[in-house]
Amino acid sequence: MSLDPPAPQPAPGPAAGTLASPPASGAPGAPPGASAADAGPPPAGTPVSPRVRDSWRRTRGVFGVLAIMVVLAAVTVLIASPRPGGRLDSEATTPVGAHALAQLLRDQGVEVRPAGTVEKARELATPDSLLLVGRTEFLADSTLMAELAEVPGDRLLIEPVTQALQALAPGVSAGALTDVESREPGCDLPAALRAGTAMTGGVSYNGPAGSRSCYGGSVIAFHAAGRQITVVGSGDFMTNERLAGDGNAALAMNLAGARPAVVWLVPGLPQTSGARREGEATLTDLIPPGVNWAFLQLFIAVALVAVWRARRLGPVVAERLPVVVRAAETVEGRGRLYRSRRARDRAAAALRAATLDRIIPRLGLTGDATPAGVVAAVAMRTPLDSHQAGALLYGAAPDDDAGLVALARHLDILERQVRDS
Amino acid sequence: MALTGRTGLLAALGAIVVLFAPQPAVAVLGVLALLTALVVADLLLAGGVRPLRLERSGERRVRLGDAVEVTLTVTNPGPRRVRGLIRDAWSPSARALPRQQSLDVPAGERRRVVTTLTPSRRGERESAVVTVRSLGPLGLAARQGSHAVPWTIRVLPPFLSRSHLPAKLSRLRELEGRHPVLIRGQGTEFDSLREYVAGDDVRSIDWRATARRNDVVVRTWRPERDRRVLIVLDTSRTSAGRVGVDPASGDPSGWPRLDWSMDAALLLAALAARAGDRVDFLAHDRTVRAWVSGASRTELLSVLVNAMAPIEAELVEADSEGMVAAVMARAAHRCLVVLLTDLNPAALEEGLLPVLPQLASRHLVLLAAVSDPRVAAMAEGRDTAEQVYDAAAAEHLRGARRRMTARLRRHGVEVVDALPDQIAPALADAYLALKAAGRL
Repeated sequence: MSLDPPAPQPAPGPAAGTLASPPASGAPGAPPGASAADAGPPPAGTPVSPRVRDSWRRTRGVFGVLAIMVVLAAVTVLIASPRPGGRLDSEATTPVGAHALAQLLRDQGVEVRPAGTVEKARELATPDSLLLVGRTEFLADSTLMAELAEVPGDRLLIEPVTQALQALAPGVSAGALTDVESREPGCDLPAALRAGTAMTGGVSYNGPAGSRSCYGGSVIAFHAAGRQITVVGSGDFMTNERLAGDGNAALAMNLAGARPAVVWLVPGLPQTSGARREGEATLTDLIPPGVNWAFLQLFIAVALVAVWRARRLGPVVAERLPVVVRAAETVEGRGRLYRSRRARDRAAAALRAATLDRIIPRLGLTGDATPAGVVAAVAMRTPLDSHQAGALLYGAAPDDDAGLVALARHLDILERQVRDS
Repeated sequence: MALTGRTGLLAALGAIVVLFAPQPAVAVLGVLALLTALVVADLLLAGGVRPLRLERSGERRVRLGDAVEVTLTVTNPGPRRVRGLIRDAWSPSARALPRQQSLDVPAGERRRVVTTLTPSRRGERESAVVTVRSLGPLGLAARQGSHAVPWTIRVLPPFLSRSHLPAKLSRLRELEGRHPVLIRGQGTEFDSLREYVAGDDVRSIDWRATARRNDVVVRTWRPERDRRVLIVLDTSRTSAGRVGVDPASGDPSGWPRLDWSMDAALLLAALAARAGDRVDFLAHDRTVRAWVSGASRTELLSVLVNAMAPIEAELVEADSEGMVAAVMARAAHRCLVVLLTDLNPAALEEGLLPVLPQLASRHLVLLAAVSDPRVAAMAEGRDTAEQVYDAAAAEHLRGARRRMTARLRRHGVEVVDALPDQIAPALADAYLALKAAGRL
């Protein structure tokens, strides 16, 4: 009996009606049964990959929308978002920045020269400029302070630390700390008088002889070595947030705009004395400039290798697989249940029932034999007495697992004895 | 489009150039521009993939466990040579090898690409796509594209039990004898009259016929023929359970009951066809999945394996009422209904038992079930308490199956409950026994 597939399958006629179309898995409309595989000429392939221009046509809308989104986002960020920066930064538009003041000064014809470092400040400063120094905690370095002290022109110190006070405003000492609140000038400094009340406070200072102390000592102005030095205990009135209140804007402009140009030294990061000693070079200085670019080139190479390896030769083929269910799963589950509940009674009953099922026909009994009859027959055919046989076949459930194992083995022995007898 | 490793290698070599170049930034841009130019040139000079014409030929059918070759003819009508890789992708269980092959088709010529399939399970295996990667002359970049070249391989049941067929056929011949027998008995019907020869049993002399002629004439008898056998395959959830070891792939998670049942059904069909009986086939769970009727003796097996090939076990409860109705509608005369299902006590209790009397009243019912060797192995465990608990669970199931068997036999149903590798011969033996007893 061979199983050669008949090459020309005859059409299903009245004599051989064949129907084998599985409704669940078969494709709808597929010709049924054996004739499905044989019909038709050898099929030619049809390209299924999209052409380049097709994929471009399909995706260009997405690219266009993405481009528009990127442009819109960039414009929005540039226009609307606050420019970040530290406190009193001349470019920061955050509440604690000072972009508003810098802008007002520029509008009034004062040239604002932002300087991020002491070195830069020295370059930008001229004898007719005013040096505005803030965030002096970032300048706490004696070398820097000495350099800064050589900068020509007037000085406006905002919240100076003690070291800065000593270096840049000699003779001024810090006094008590006061609340920042709206205060009257209380002095004859023209800048303060013209401004009127202002949000001042913070540290109050004791100036040298000849100094003018305004706003309860929080603004001190004096002449020293041919320059005007002003010390301000709190820069709050200069910030974007507070500038519009009281006479804050007037006071700030009067103080900072006293000269045609202001060098704005408010560092955002701790500064160090930058002058490096001769002959000392860090590791990065010793690396030739080509190395960084070579690494970039290697990165490109790695990216190209990734593209090479990532490209599959054709798509992943998926397949519907039949479910894998082991038929014995329910039995294993029942066994585990017995085990977890230590169901020795049920286990023993199942084992005894199986043994009885097997030995009763061999004993020449029928299915409706009584226990007493079975025990008597067993006692007759095996070395066991009727008491032992009864305990083994119809006794109580074992007390522990060892008893259960022993019971199972004894039942096996009994079965063998009955079989061999 | 695809790149090759050469592109990456060139870019890496470019890093050395950049390292020693006087202007590294310019060198990076230069290397990049050079690479881009080379890749674009390679892509433009590569043979086109889209114009390729692909045609298939080869086998449409294969028996599970056998290998089959599918030939793909690649014709290159374009002006440039197509050199590169080709992959004929099939669903994973078709196990198509080699996974990818090199391809070199000069312009205007064609080449054949042979893929060998060794399917690991029964059913229809469809080809996915054919993907060609055509390298440029520099080997830096390649054009890539896929073609759909549909082809279906029908993986037929392996009919492993055919090795039992000669033994069963010789028993069948024993039964019916090479020559008509003289003994009248159960399972025989009147065959013909012939002249008496010395040695014939005098009891078989037909005196009436002898009187009409001058010779002594004896009656001869033969086993009954032209009985009907209807094989009903249950394709419901109980047939999805895996038992034994998958003979096709050696997978220890087993082979579905359905496949073992099909194997047994094929042996029975082959045997019954040889014995001169008519064999019909029905696959049913909630609806009729397959129905084969009236196939001639010679083509019965090929029709059967074709009908069986696409059948998968459905995860639904069997509709026994519908199955009995389908059998009653299709079998007008008395026949042997061979039910290939599982002897699952719970499922049978609710499904088959209530409708069984209706079926058994008109037909002879033989129920064949594949038992699980794993359960048999579990029932032997005695080493530890855990094994004994498992053995108790296994004995519980076997006891339930024994009781169900006894109940079915009380209904007049024959039951064959055998291990997977025994089910086919056991079913054949049961059929032969019924035939010998004249109960068909």
